[in-house]
Amino acid sequence: MAKLHPMLEPFGSAPGETWDRMHAAHLLNRATFGGNDADVAEAYALGAVGAIDKLLDFPDAPVEEISQTAGPDLSGITDYPKTAADRRQLFQGKTEEEKKVLQQQIQQANNEAVREVAGWWMRRMATGPYPLQEKLAFFWHGHFTTSARDERSAWLMWGQNETLRTYAAGNFAKFAKAMAHDPAMLDYLNNQQNKKAHPNENFARELMELFTLGIGNYTENDVKEGARAFTGWAHNGEEYVFRKFDHDDGDKTFLGRRGKFDGTDVVDIILQQPVCGAYIASRLWCNFVNEDPDPAICQSLGQQLRDNNYELRPVIRILLSSRAFHSDQNLGGLIKSPVQLIVGLARQMGLDDMRFGKLRDSLKQMGQEPLMPPNVKGWPGGRQWINTSTLFVRQNTALQMIAERGAKIRRNDGANRPDEAVDAWLARLIQRPVAADRRDILVKALGNRVTDDSLRGMIGLIVSMPEFQLC
Amino acid sequence: MTHTRRLFLQRGLALVSVGVTVPTFLDSTVMAMEDPLDVKRTQRESGKDGPILVVVQMSGGNDGLSMVVPYADDAYHRARPTLAHGPKDVLKLNEYVGLNQNLTGIKGLYDSGMASVLQGVGYPNPNRSHFRSMDIWQSGIPEKEMVTSGWLGRFFDNTCAGEDPHQGVVLGESTPLAMKGEKTTPLAFDKPGNYRYKGRDAGSYTSLNQPSESSPTTKPAAMAKAAPAKLITPDSQLSFLTRTAMDARVSSDKVLSIVNGYQTAQSYPNGSFGEGLRTVAAMIRGGLPTKVYYVSLGGFDTHAGQEGRHDRLMKDLDQGVAAFWKDMKEQKNEQRVTMMAFSEFGRRVAQNASGGTDHGAAAPMFLFGPSIAKKAGIVGRHPSLTDLDQGDLKYGLDFRNVYASILQEWLKTPSKPVLGRQFEPLPIFKA
Repeated sequence: MAKLHPMLEPFGSAPGETWDRMHAAHLLNRATFGGNDADVAEAYALGAVGAIDKLLDFPDAPVEEISQTAGPDLSGITDYPKTAADRRQLFQGKTEEEKKVLQQQIQQANNEAVREVAGWWMRRMATGPYPLQEKLAFFWHGHFTTSARDERSAWLMWGQNETLRTYAAGNFAKFAKAMAHDPAMLDYLNNQQNKKAHPNENFARELMELFTLGIGNYTENDVKEGARAFTGWAHNGEEYVFRKFDHDDGDKTFLGRRGKFDGTDVVDIILQQPVCGAYIASRLWCNFVNEDPDPAICQSLGQQLRDNNYELRPVIRILLSSRAFHSDQNLGGLIKSPVQLIVGLARQMGLDDMRFGKLRDSLKQMGQEPLMPPNVKGWPGGRQWINTSTLFVRQNTALQMIAERGAKIRRNDGANRPDEAVDAWLARLIQRPVAADRRDILVKALGNRVTDDSLRGMIGLIVSMPEFQLC
Repeated sequence: MTHTRRLFLQRGLALVSVGVTVPTFLDSTVMAMEDPLDVKRTQRESGKDGPILVVVQMSGGNDGLSMVVPYADDAYHRARPTLAHGPKDVLKLNEYVGLNQNLTGIKGLYDSGMASVLQGVGYPNPNRSHFRSMDIWQSGIPEKEMVTSGWLGRFFDNTCAGEDPHQGVVLGESTPLAMKGEKTTPLAFDKPGNYRYKGRDAGSYTSLNQPSESSPTTKPAAMAKAAPAKLITPDSQLSFLTRTAMDARVSSDKVLSIVNGYQTAQSYPNGSFGEGLRTVAAMIRGGLPTKVYYVSLGGFDTHAGQEGRHDRLMKDLDQGVAAFWKDMKEQKNEQRVTMMAFSEFGRRVAQNASGGTDHGAAAPMFLFGPSIAKKAGIVGRHPSLTDLDQGDLKYGLDFRNVYASILQEWLKTPSKPVLGRQFEPLPIFKA
């Protein structure tokens, strides 16, 4: 094993690195969608190693394998065939006109189903048993991007969602191959049209540019030859199919190698490129640590990924345990994505029955609807989330959630004096120290008498602070 | 004195002392807040004569043949047995085509030389998916499958220095790709009333979104003892957010006071399109430095029961456009504005069995404004109704030539950096 970069050594191994509630909250902000009081207390009690072990302890399996009733329930959506066979049956014997009407009904039902899956997913992020699995799945959703935007089947999107969950911390090599066989992905990146006679380069290009190597680490010729290897990789509306007659089985020259490569060979060759490990490491870094990855650290982390045969779990463990991850300048340094913002607040306010579907318009205005990334690059993130319009929507949406009937705002949780109440809620919602003058404003706004109503008003102000936009 | 200005003046020194850059726009805007409708003062910075583009997007695929009707073509009547508009039902433009009879206001603009009808606009290898074709029109780059910015966004990227949030304004709940830049994003709101902070304690909110003046920080009691008593959050992120919040507050005050205080004799049609155009008119009058406004009219995906539906859309469009231009004239701002109307595609020539039409290809575009050249009333030949591409009209004009005309001759900016290569402008605008 290669030596670890010093910044990747475990936090706590040097003097002055002390695990406290702030670091526990930071871990939960980054490795989940944010923790409530009980989550933070538990993580603090477990210690860094214990807390990270617990987060990483989830089955590498789809939800439907873990529990048959845990997945989204689409049964309430009428006229929505589940399989291609159901669909064929529905269309059988219908006139052209009836088919057209049916087609429109299915399209409408599909939109509804996509929204249902997205709402289900956010609820699982907030209240499910394995929040790191969902955090990772959501990260991979923006990495191996596929969008339902152009009326892509909700069933295919759901199938892909389960794949993202299955490999979230699994083996990246197997993950990449699974995604290259994923019907929604093949559909999204036009591999249905990738045929021997007319190759379509879209999937092969994005596989290298965005999913594995990064721009500049392959040539245009590699794209052309890679595309040939994926010809005939298609789907039938339900699952992957290999269309032999569309496949080009001739010799290809790809990343300096020559042979009768198919798609699997191409993925294997890509994974042998040293740059692949560092590229994946830098993507993880940007999502979990900060937006300015240090090349030397990513090099070291990428080497770990390669040394572990692309097993992600040990690498994620290193990342979450690292001195860099827990360093002061990374606490509260990321701008929350819209999904983090609302899922985290739901968790912190105890909104266990939150119907995320009703926040759909807000998510749209904030620029992030799950299952609907704007393009293959996923969501740009960081400061791109914030402009004068989205900031209002973020603040107003948080206010709307605070006003929810289910929001657990209790007056008597041990913090009876106005300043105690402010401190308790700052600890709960900001989780980091704030400037004294900010705190004074909140104490003043709360007034001398702490009532449920004045408390709600003060909490509304906390979620309207610039600090609340960060995690 | 307005609240914002008072705060700004009170805290101005504090802002400077903590080293937060006050956006240039805040500076000039706040000073002008006394009377946002004082055009002379508010427009001092942005240049009163700056050209404005208003984009009208007809979403869903507008049936061009029912808008610019080839009433004299037998092939049209054969293809549209129940949907065709006869010679008596159109506002004739020439011996071959006429406008949908509901477009009386637009016909008036045409007669006064303020409208250009661009016939048969499209692009090579037309795509019949709403999403893909809309992406193509909005990105301006049909050749690339995946584009992350739009043509107007790249126009902002290339020409608009500074961080004024008003350079592009979208009336709609989400930002269309067309307006997204790599570096810039437009202002977007469905209604001006939603472009504000809705919490009840505006005073505390304002104070909380100012740069903090105290360096000592509190340690929340619930945090463990080891929590350092210093500000953890990186200053750069906090000051970025604080600055945006201040921008938002000033911008919101300004936009709302402009829109709420707007009075016009024109009556705009009900609905988000008419209200959107009214808001645009108010913002133009209010002297915002906005270069591009973007409004949409939806409902054009008329697969079934098109008769009546499309006519109502035409009426809505016409009333909105006509009211807007009367408003501009009254404001004496019409010289500053050009309007462009487009849709992602036209519809199939032959009607379907549901009394509707399916996704097609080439369609007409419209440009409006006093800068339209005399000879540009009708641009391009009407596509043949018999020489078709899979049942669809073949395009004669590439939409990128239209964009190039707008960019170069109206917005006075080179079009090549925006469109990726040089497209010849069409003779649409006055020299």
